[in-house]
Amino acid sequence: MTTTTTDNQKAQAVKAPVQVTFTLNGQQISVPKGTSVMEAATKNKVDIPHFCWHPGLSVAGVCRFCLVKVEGARKLEIACNLEARDGMIVSSVDAEVKEAHKWALEFHLVNHPLDCPICDQAGECGLQDFYMSVGKYDSWMNRPKALKPKALDIGGDLVLDTERCILCSRCVRFEEEVTKTDALGIFDRGDRAIIGTYPGKKIDHNYTTNLVDICPVGAFTSKEFRFKKRVWFLQDRPSICPGCSTGCAVDVYGKPQERHYYRIKPRESEVNGHWMCDFGRHQYVPLNAELRLPKASLQVNQQQKYVLLEDALTELKTMLGQVQPSEVALLVSAQYTNEEYAKFFDYFVTQHKIKHVFQWREPTETIEAFDGLLMRGDHNANTQGLLSAMKQVGISAKPTNEFDKALDSKFKLVIALAPELPDTFPSLAGQLAKLSEAPAYTCVFSLMVSLARIPGFDCLIPMRGWAEKLGSFTNFEGKIRQLEASFPPAVLDALGVDEAVELLAGSRHFQPREHTVH
Amino acid sequence: MTSTASSQKIILAHEGMANSRALSTYKANGGYTALAKALKMQPTQIIDEVKASGLRGRGGAGFPTGLKWSFVPRDITGPKYLLCNNDESEPGTFKDRHICTVSPHMIIEGIIIGAFTVNANKGYIYTRYEFQEEIGYLEVAIKEAYEAGLLGKNILGSGFDFDLDSYVGAGAYICGEETGMISSLEGKKGQPKLKPPFPAVSGYLGRPTVVNNTETLANIPWIINNGAAAFKKFGTEKSPGTKLFSISGPIKRPGVYEVPLGTKFMDFLNHQCGGMLEGKTFKACIPGGASAAVLTAEEMQNVTLDFECLAENGSMLGSGAIMVIDDSQSMTDILKVTMDFFSHESCGQCTPCREGTGWLANILEGIKERHATPKDVDRIYDIAKNMSGKTICALSDAAAGPAMSFIKKYGDEIKHNLGAEHS
Amino acid sequence: MGIVKVANPPDDSNIFKLGFGYVWAIIKGLQFTLTTMLKQLFGFEKSETLEWPEKPVTYSERFKGKHFLTRREDGQIRCTACFLCATNCPAECIHIEAGQHPENEIEKFPVRFEIDILRCVFCGYCEEACPVDAIRLGPEYAMASTDGAKWVYTKEYLSDRPELQGGLHSVKPENDKHSTVDQPLPAEKYRTEVVHGDH
Repeated sequence: MTTTTTDNQKAQAVKAPVQVTFTLNGQQISVPKGTSVMEAATKNKVDIPHFCWHPGLSVAGVCRFCLVKVEGARKLEIACNLEARDGMIVSSVDAEVKEAHKWALEFHLVNHPLDCPICDQAGECGLQDFYMSVGKYDSWMNRPKALKPKALDIGGDLVLDTERCILCSRCVRFEEEVTKTDALGIFDRGDRAIIGTYPGKKIDHNYTTNLVDICPVGAFTSKEFRFKKRVWFLQDRPSICPGCSTGCAVDVYGKPQERHYYRIKPRESEVNGHWMCDFGRHQYVPLNAELRLPKASLQVNQQQKYVLLEDALTELKTMLGQVQPSEVALLVSAQYTNEEYAKFFDYFVTQHKIKHVFQWREPTETIEAFDGLLMRGDHNANTQGLLSAMKQVGISAKPTNEFDKALDSKFKLVIALAPELPDTFPSLAGQLAKLSEAPAYTCVFSLMVSLARIPGFDCLIPMRGWAEKLGSFTNFEGKIRQLEASFPPAVLDALGVDEAVELLAGSRHFQPREHTVH
Repeated sequence: MTSTASSQKIILAHEGMANSRALSTYKANGGYTALAKALKMQPTQIIDEVKASGLRGRGGAGFPTGLKWSFVPRDITGPKYLLCNNDESEPGTFKDRHICTVSPHMIIEGIIIGAFTVNANKGYIYTRYEFQEEIGYLEVAIKEAYEAGLLGKNILGSGFDFDLDSYVGAGAYICGEETGMISSLEGKKGQPKLKPPFPAVSGYLGRPTVVNNTETLANIPWIINNGAAAFKKFGTEKSPGTKLFSISGPIKRPGVYEVPLGTKFMDFLNHQCGGMLEGKTFKACIPGGASAAVLTAEEMQNVTLDFECLAENGSMLGSGAIMVIDDSQSMTDILKVTMDFFSHESCGQCTPCREGTGWLANILEGIKERHATPKDVDRIYDIAKNMSGKTICALSDAAAGPAMSFIKKYGDEIKHNLGAEHS
Repeated sequence: MGIVKVANPPDDSNIFKLGFGYVWAIIKGLQFTLTTMLKQLFGFEKSETLEWPEKPVTYSERFKGKHFLTRREDGQIRCTACFLCATNCPAECIHIEAGQHPENEIEKFPVRFEIDILRCVFCGYCEEACPVDAIRLGPEYAMASTDGAKWVYTKEYLSDRPELQGGLHSVKPENDKHSTVDQPLPAEKYRTEVVHGDH
């Protein structure tokens, strides 16, 4: 109901964008009519402490933390449900407000178990952050705390600790409004209230880990990330999820010193709002050093042998010189960046006149599939980018799997850009086996160490993973999704396709490589 | 006194009559004449009349009824609802129950007039689960009204349709709060909704809804029949009319009394209620249900029973539940029972109330267990102070009010007993 | 840069003065040495020299020596793998791997807990950071070894080496999350005569 009203107000605002101007902490702020003080403050980088308000969900107004003082009002108001009106004078730093914030936090912590040492949320917990910013009091609570069930498996990727829960109801609203699965409810009342699923039911959908993200405390923790790493050891880089053609903006969390990635979280963007799917969150796994092709590899006496990158590329270049362009097939998967495709096609198609370019796609895919929220059936991040890059060099194509065409016996050299993410390619193992048995000289650009265990490949070049690249993907609707920052590659020799091509072309020279940590 | 007293009765006019609940008795005594009159009036006229009468909500908050009705948008199509709040759960209150027992038709008549005024075609009487007998009375009365054509299609040939149902709550104090009641009626967990939007704009099922207390609605037929001016003869300037008081405690004649607002409390206690029981000394009084602040015997000496005087004294008229306390009772126990109640009944939505009520009950548990220090007693006041005025509904304030007043007025006594229990 | 004031150099313009300056100081020094030696030789004064390693030496309970991990009442180690010691460690010598404990009440526990003692600077920050009194620095000081592998103390070694006589229980109640620990562990439990040499 609240949402409908806000939506109506928003719709009206779109029709007639009436601006209202009000004062927040002495700063003049102008926002469209119908905006709440909280939204206005967030847009203007004024921090008003809050737990239950979330920009992607309806207003619940239950944490009573975002109290602000409105000049002339009888009592403090909550900023999340306070519509900005012309000439209103609002303060979130007034002494009375500060005192109220302190008390609001004290109330939140009265029955909180304070098990920060074993809580995965520690380090990014709302209670901790606000204690440092508006709390810093000595607790008065000297009575036994209310005890509630802990470490419950409630399905999906979720572990629920009802004792840590502050009952902000974000998760309940997420289930109600975003996934529309209504799997969660608040049971019992007073300080005995707990979040839970309905009797005998568990949460089961592809968006469960969003509950971990939106939970401002450690009530929901992720099974996958649970106890793996304290968050303050992690570094994050803004990137784009490679799991499907939607191109959700994400932050990748890893520890470069350990050459290990730990988790992926959504980053707000117009494409994905505040959410991402559980499938996408899993796509950091293939980037970890233990699964990565550590070095270039060449076939020596029917055996794969790790060699220097220089040797592998030189051999590839020699091969390229020995065959006719018509005897070369390029087998390209749609999981590389636009920049990589541009360099790749420029070198092989424009300069080397190779005309046989084939798409490497999952044969069982249903491109048009869409779960109604974010995930699409096309599990390649850059189908559109690949097609437009091909068009750029004069090859028009539709997204179809042409894998078998590249295996034609007329080809003496097959250069393949292998898919990065095995999760998105259920048929990958079979395809790789087929490719390795092809009579042609097969050179595969890949990041998977599993390829080095298949004897048939003639040349393997280790690739950078998606989180280790800069560049862009083009998503299903043609939007350019920028991979804004990257990690150093988890393996020293890893190259981007663009780097490999530059090395082949001689426009870049081998540098002594060091594993640098940023 | 007795003759004037009976003539002063508006709501309990039929008290003591044989078979007073029956439609025939009610009609024989002028029942449903107001409805016939109202159906011929313009809704705005009715609102003006009720506004002029100065009738204030009898549920506890004392909001002017006419004003509340005028908030309902008139130019809106689609269903509107009128709900009768019969979820009388305030500790110490048993007045609505008495109205249901004496004249359920008076409530129904008031509801129909109210519904006609705000153009609602569907209404519910939301009664608390524990009132099993009264629910029976109401259901019989509704059935009688339907049979007599007072409910249903085309009431009394006016063209106005109205359906009324009885709805039984599941026993939650919070469902006496209007938006809590609406949530419960909608089949959701009974917890108050964030305001704005107010129920008059978006209430039951997102439609404009009016929620009135049973006693408020029972006043309506009389006002329509006798006019605002006659109503204003009772009571005070700002609190006109009569009010039902449910008085309990160590007094000679506890029960429900209808007295004009503005009556002096001591007169009421000593005359109608017969004064304190033998050997009991009047020590303190909670004048408006468990959520009202406690007043000492001295403070009560000059108090008149109306909205303003009690508010000036730092308490409230509330639902008119007067609980008299004598000096043999432990203030710690009374405060603990009260806080246990609010802790049990907090819906758990807003943090200050959920945690605050529980915390206060927890501290008082500590006092009972003799684990507390005088500092803990002082903390009760601070905690209560900081949980009031910060939540969606008034339950937090309802718990904070008595806690603060008990500590302010009887904190020393509580601390003294604490010391005694310590040694 | 700080400036250190030293005594003025002896005046070397005059040989007598120079001789007086140095020689006199030497004589004074030797006199002190000699008297002390004689006093101690004839038992007028007690010698402060420790005859370690021939005679065992014990340090105070509060000495910041070799680490150990304390135990719960039921004998399991107290450490909850919160990583606060590892976070706080200026030498970055603590390596922890956390895991899910089979008992739900304990939840998190260290699957591995290792201290690279060669990196450790014995600052005691780990002890101070620990919210559950799980890691302590004890009075053991002899940590030399010829076996490189033993310089990484494992969880088992830290909680159950022979010197700990079956492990030490913390004095802090298990559900206590607020109080700080300021008392040492019960002395009778901890054998302070340290077995030195390789462990």
